[in-house]
Amino acid sequence: MSWAEREPERLEQRIRIEPDGTVVALSGKIEFGQGIRTAFAQVVADELDVPIERVRVVLGDTAQVPWDMGTFGSRSVAQETPVLRRAAARAREELLARASHKLGVGVERLRTDDGYVRDGDGKRIAYADLVRDRPLAGAIPERVRFRPAAERRYAGKPMPRLEAREIVTGTARYTADVRLPGMAHGAIVRPPVRGASVRAIDDGAARAMPGVIAIVRDRDLIGVVAEREEQARAAADAVDVDWAVRPPREDKRWTIPLREDAGVDEALRAGALHLDASYTLPPISNAPIGPSAAVADVREDAATIYAGTQRPFGLREEIAEAVGLDEEQVRVLPQMPSGTYGRNSSGDASFEAAILSKHAKRPVHLQWTRAEEFAFAPTRPAAYLEVAAALDASGAIAAWRYDEHTNVHTGGGFDPRWGSEASGRNAEPHYRLPLARVTLRIEPTPLRTASFRSLAASENIFAIESFMDELAHASRQDPLAFRLRHVDDPRLRAVYERVAERSGWGRAVSAGCGLGIAGTIYHGTYIAEVAEVEVAPSGAVRLVRVWAAVDPGLTWNPDGVRNQIEGGIQQSASWTLLEQVKHRDARVVTAGWDTYPIATFRDAPEAIDVDVVGDESAPSTGVGEPGAVPIAAAIANAVFAACGARIRELPMTPERVRAARDARS
Amino acid sequence: MKFRLRINGTEREVDVPRRTTLLSVLRNDLGLTGTRFGCGAGQCGACFVIADGRAVASCLVTVDQAADLDITTVEGLAASAPTRGAPEDGALHAVQEAFVAEDAMQCGYCTSGMIMSAAALLARDPHPSEAAIRDALAGNLCRCGVYVRAIRAVKRAAEAAA
Repeated sequence: MSWAEREPERLEQRIRIEPDGTVVALSGKIEFGQGIRTAFAQVVADELDVPIERVRVVLGDTAQVPWDMGTFGSRSVAQETPVLRRAAARAREELLARASHKLGVGVERLRTDDGYVRDGDGKRIAYADLVRDRPLAGAIPERVRFRPAAERRYAGKPMPRLEAREIVTGTARYTADVRLPGMAHGAIVRPPVRGASVRAIDDGAARAMPGVIAIVRDRDLIGVVAEREEQARAAADAVDVDWAVRPPREDKRWTIPLREDAGVDEALRAGALHLDASYTLPPISNAPIGPSAAVADVREDAATIYAGTQRPFGLREEIAEAVGLDEEQVRVLPQMPSGTYGRNSSGDASFEAAILSKHAKRPVHLQWTRAEEFAFAPTRPAAYLEVAAALDASGAIAAWRYDEHTNVHTGGGFDPRWGSEASGRNAEPHYRLPLARVTLRIEPTPLRTASFRSLAASENIFAIESFMDELAHASRQDPLAFRLRHVDDPRLRAVYERVAERSGWGRAVSAGCGLGIAGTIYHGTYIAEVAEVEVAPSGAVRLVRVWAAVDPGLTWNPDGVRNQIEGGIQQSASWTLLEQVKHRDARVVTAGWDTYPIATFRDAPEAIDVDVVGDESAPSTGVGEPGAVPIAAAIANAVFAACGARIRELPMTPERVRAARDARS
Repeated sequence: MKFRLRINGTEREVDVPRRTTLLSVLRNDLGLTGTRFGCGAGQCGACFVIADGRAVASCLVTVDQAADLDITTVEGLAASAPTRGAPEDGALHAVQEAFVAEDAMQCGYCTSGMIMSAAALLARDPHPSEAAIRDALAGNLCRCGVYVRAIRAVKRAAEAAA
């Protein structure tokens, strides 16, 4: 199924009013920390005129919510709030009409108020009483009257997330916290290298171990089911498997032209100033704090999967096929997962738990170990980016050539050739370029790669915004002014100018410190960031402070927006300064936080100043990913400003910074 | 084997293998799933509980060792310290309140561990410097990146308690 084939959405798929007055709002999107549950509740509470506490948002339950392709690309608020808003407005309209009929009063004399319809004479009727015999139903019209902005209680106001209380008291239930009657625990016997096949198996010792219920073999998946988690793990370690390691599959190569103007090479040669540079990024791990987990209850004629997933409907299809049931017999119940930033597009643990449950005939809880998560989860691909440009006599860009070499950025059944949207995301610069050639080259890798926050945009913007800085310095122009002379879009100009103003762009900083700027347009969201860094004599880079200006159109929860942008900056600063997945002979050797350090409290900047300059008249765009996109270049540019070291390869280790600084002097 | 544990002010008895971790007992035998599994090696802080006043990784403590300790989990934190209201009325610990007020969380998976570290810190140092906060919470990894907010929340909690 695809978006195009879908029937128009119906009210009963989106809004339900329960007998106790609870308003249930339904969406196929998933909450994993972006705050969409809260934003959706704000929208529905405002348009339906009910207290937000009475709104229950059901996300992703395949038995209840309308079909959805998946939660990715920072599109949840953009895609879903307009529909939920229209549904809620339509519901309110319908409730007013029904109340008018019931009370014998014209609609114009009625108003809604906190879950009731009231007339002018003190009579009121609860929403629940208006739907008791006839639930809300019908088409959601494209055009429906919204409540006036002045009457909105929640939209546009900072709201703590609805799950906050459960989170801080530990009562929030994550996937790994699901407990079912008769539930057993699973563990998987892992091959030395992904994709190995089973030649022979000796499970004699494991079978005799305490608590073991079943040793499962389903094609090349081998697992143990036991009464206790640690018993399953111990028995899995005792299963002796003779693995046939296959040479890594040679993926296809694709060359995808994203922009091809004639005469680029000639113009590059003819320019007054020519510059080229290349940039390298290593594979990195989504590295969720909670490794993958799932609970599966697979029976003869039905299956329920408690999953951390971004694609409940895609997962339902895959599970149905794996356990031999019809799609309608499988219910995927997405649970609150640990933040995974794209990793949950692949439903590995759910798939494995389902197979174990089917064979063991028990509900099975499967918790991956930290080492399994590093070694068997997909990584963000490495990238090698070659840029060349020529400036004309006035110092403006005359021609631009960009070659992006990377691997497939998506998992979960997406066509890898969907290049510009995935592996080629943001490869085309957000600047006015008279002549350009931009080519995406998807190359093979022995690693398993898939989606990570913003896909290739962070890699491309690291290269593009670093190179813009190099061009500015090479032609003795201010990096901000150089950017702005290539910007036509007023919203892009506004975020660059705003972040410059807030950060005091151009001010003097202490010795060893520097400011760097970078920005982008990501899926319609405008963002610019300034980083202030301090470079130690050792070459160690400390991120002192960050400023961001973001325009995501109409915002529902400004503090939620700030939180997402701050998080994107902090996470991406960690990728930039610290992270690299190590691999050898197609095998990931990174296994724990000791060999894959990420930013800690000690590395956090003193402050991250996020200014939301949302244009209320523009449609909402996403904020989950954009914050992560420009910061690598902002940091690299700041390091250059601080000490003259141009860092073109990440992570920005002290050794690399020292080498670049020494090479210069 | 049978073990008697003192958890959140209550004696609890469990019958588990001797080398079972405290984390496993909390999550799988006592239904206290607010303490999260993250790495099993004491490197991430998701499983921190307060044992005899110190924040410790429950994945590194065996049930045998835990039997001698006074243990508080995130579920019992509000009841373990003086709060403005009675815990039965849903009053939160000052640190929990501050984390909600600052929205110092995103996915929330690391939050319980972070809160336990912060609560242990404020119990021994009610007015910590920012450097002391960073040091005390350095063992709590957060992938969503809410560090700046969390530091603000700990400061807020310290001020609220003053």
